[in-house]
Amino acid sequence: MEPEPSPLSNGDSTAAGTTTAASIASAVAATAAPIQSARINHLAESLKLEHQFLRVPFEHFKKSMRSNHRIAEKEMSTVISSVSEAANRDNMSQEEAVNHLTSLVSRLQGLKRKLEEGSKSENLQAQRCRARLDHLDAAEAENLSEWNNTRLKRILVDYLLRLSYYDTAVKLAECSNIEDLVDIEVFHEAKKVIDALHNKEVAPALAWCAENKSRLKKSKSKFEFQLRLQEFVELVRADNNIRAITYARKYLAPWGATHMKELQRVMATLAFKSNTECATYKVLFELKQWDYLVEQFKQEFCRLYGMTLEPLLNIYLQAGLSALKTPFCYENDCSKEDPLSQEGFRKLANPLPFSKQHHSKLVCYITKELMDTENPPLVFPNGHVYSTKALEEMARKNDGKVTCPRTGQVCSYSELVKAFIS
Amino acid sequence: MELGSIRDAFDRVAKKQKLCSSKTQEVIDQVGQEIEQALAKLQALHDPSSLHDLKTILTELNGKLKEVGPINQIEGSQKELNVGLSKYAKLLEKFFNPDISKAYRNVDFDTQTINQIIACHFYRQGLFDLGDCFMNEAMEPEVTLKSPFMEMYQILEAMRSRNLEPALKWAANNRDHLVQNGSILELKLHRLQFVEILQNGSRGDALHYARTYLSPFASVHMAEIQKLMACLLWAGRLDSSPYAEFLSPTHWEKLAEELTQQFCSVLGQSYDSPLAVVIEAGFQGLPTLLKLANVMAAKKQEWLAMKQLPVPLDLGRDFQFHSIFVCPVSRDQGSEENPPMLMPCGHVLCKLSIVKLSKSSTRTFKCPYCPTEATVALCRQLHF
Ligand SMILES: [Zn+2]
Ligand SMILES: [Zn+2]
Repeated sequence: MEPEPSPLSNGDSTAAGTTTAASIASAVAATAAPIQSARINHLAESLKLEHQFLRVPFEHFKKSMRSNHRIAEKEMSTVISSVSEAANRDNMSQEEAVNHLTSLVSRLQGLKRKLEEGSKSENLQAQRCRARLDHLDAAEAENLSEWNNTRLKRILVDYLLRLSYYDTAVKLAECSNIEDLVDIEVFHEAKKVIDALHNKEVAPALAWCAENKSRLKKSKSKFEFQLRLQEFVELVRADNNIRAITYARKYLAPWGATHMKELQRVMATLAFKSNTECATYKVLFELKQWDYLVEQFKQEFCRLYGMTLEPLLNIYLQAGLSALKTPFCYENDCSKEDPLSQEGFRKLANPLPFSKQHHSKLVCYITKELMDTENPPLVFPNGHVYSTKALEEMARKNDGKVTCPRTGQVCSYSELVKAFIS
Repeated sequence: MELGSIRDAFDRVAKKQKLCSSKTQEVIDQVGQEIEQALAKLQALHDPSSLHDLKTILTELNGKLKEVGPINQIEGSQKELNVGLSKYAKLLEKFFNPDISKAYRNVDFDTQTINQIIACHFYRQGLFDLGDCFMNEAMEPEVTLKSPFMEMYQILEAMRSRNLEPALKWAANNRDHLVQNGSILELKLHRLQFVEILQNGSRGDALHYARTYLSPFASVHMAEIQKLMACLLWAGRLDSSPYAEFLSPTHWEKLAEELTQQFCSVLGQSYDSPLAVVIEAGFQGLPTLLKLANVMAAKKQEWLAMKQLPVPLDLGRDFQFHSIFVCPVSRDQGSEENPPMLMPCGHVLCKLSIVKLSKSSTRTFKCPYCPTEATVALCRQLHF
């Protein structure tokens, strides 16, 4: 007996299973509109993920402004105090006074030139901020696949830069014409510090700390302290004990108030030597402390620029793998089109949760199309299910006979029964 | 998305920045002028040895500069700019999600595995130089997929310059696989070649080509072959024949796409880059995941221990690779232990739901969706 047509809700389709042409047309129209608006909705939601994309060039812009401001202020103070100093002197000759003022005038001219240069780089940063806004604005339903393609490239460049694969990053940005949409310049600043740390030099890292002093202080960073500790350890390693103590007095003591324990621990290395077997101190002399400093720097750097601490690629990979992960992915007949049919993706997905479905979503084994109201599932006598489209086509080509591709069972099309999945 | 208001806010910031820097320039000029005026006075002194006059000029200058207050002026405009800057940063935080790593699981996410995936992605996109540069920089071992994809791009490159030979050779070598996939790529390639000869070569060449390469397909694709042979009547002027459509350049594009598809299939690879698929799924799923992470954090639920997400992340249809059956009664996902069962009326429930409804294997029960009666024995297990 044919059952009453009941609502078949497979995924987001809501149409009822009647078969007149008009109702199918209206059903298609009714489902097409929500799909379109759902896509735009999806887009709006995923655009909200782009904070870093706008934030980093803005921070860069701010940084240029700050450094220009600092230069102007410093030079100006020097000029002012130099004038007031001259005014207070009693024994200046005319020639001296003229020379003094002339040097101040040329100093101001030098400052003007510097600021003009600085203002050029400010404008460049501002233009980059605008380019990012324009890029987000350009995302529309019509050009989405191209836009998504660019997004993937941006994310790959972010990954490459964070892992210090600079050449590949630059190459990818150049060949895709997305230099304005990635932060190569920003990471170049990081590269100098990282390269130096790999060479066991702390000077560029310390300079970076000085440059960003107030912001690091605000986030209670102890990165500078860690750098100082490392320098101290190196002095101890070189048996330069007098210098080590002088160094500690000057650079470590100020951190005593907040980091006494660490300070004491590292001072104790003076009592041991770099070949100590005592585990607590041995670790301080290990060379991987430098790698640790690199990691530490990367984190501070990302935080300062408003970046996520993890590469964007890793974040989206995790989210995507969780969204796709089902128990069926790990079976042998998992479709090749499923990324989780591949070993690498399976490995990455291992520690992640499985996805969840509230409604049945059935995919035809033959056509890989979704089985829904327009393409309902049909059941072989042995219980295997395929889409109407696939079996109709098969029956048309084989005088009404259909064959189950998985078991070889043959029957006539009229023996198939419709399954109603709600 | 309120991009318009964000852009306005940025324009305001940029305007203030311009104001600030022109203010600074102005102040510098002002100070410079004062100094130059004093300088002129100094040089014009009647009695160069008069220390009194000299001191008066310098003191005057000092007083004037204090009046100008250059530092205060610069600071003032800077302060105003700073207000604008922090407003804009706050606006970004309001409209965008400032931390998208909240749903990130801090698990061992193997860099080498990710690097291999990226390298494969570059190679399958045809970016071989980039792939090599990356492998070099990341010090990764060779990726086995590189040379097959190189072959594929060589074939496609040749097709772009209207050379079908490499494509035909590949299709002949992989004939069994193509037939198994139900693809008639080989015939389509020969058809394209035949049309090329017909348009640019002689009728005799075309006929010879057809006899050699098209005739083996005649047994299965008779209608197609007949059409092609009829084309011989219009050799050299196919464009004004009923078969002008054969000349359309879209055939080349479509065939390049089909070849790519079949090539990937022969390799056991997906057509789309798996990395692109996962990242796109990530973009669609992450907004919901972030909301979920927020809710769970508020309820102090453990994000790391969760084995299955509590809510669906609705992805588009393109991401549906498996049939997922969800029982409409229990809301459980179908599994080997609890498979979907077809009732005689055509409605489908999971096995546990049917067992619960029937209470015993022989009793009849009513379908919850229609009044039809059923027994357990009449229900059939489904395989999707
Ligand atoms: Zn899967
Ligand atoms: Zn029923």
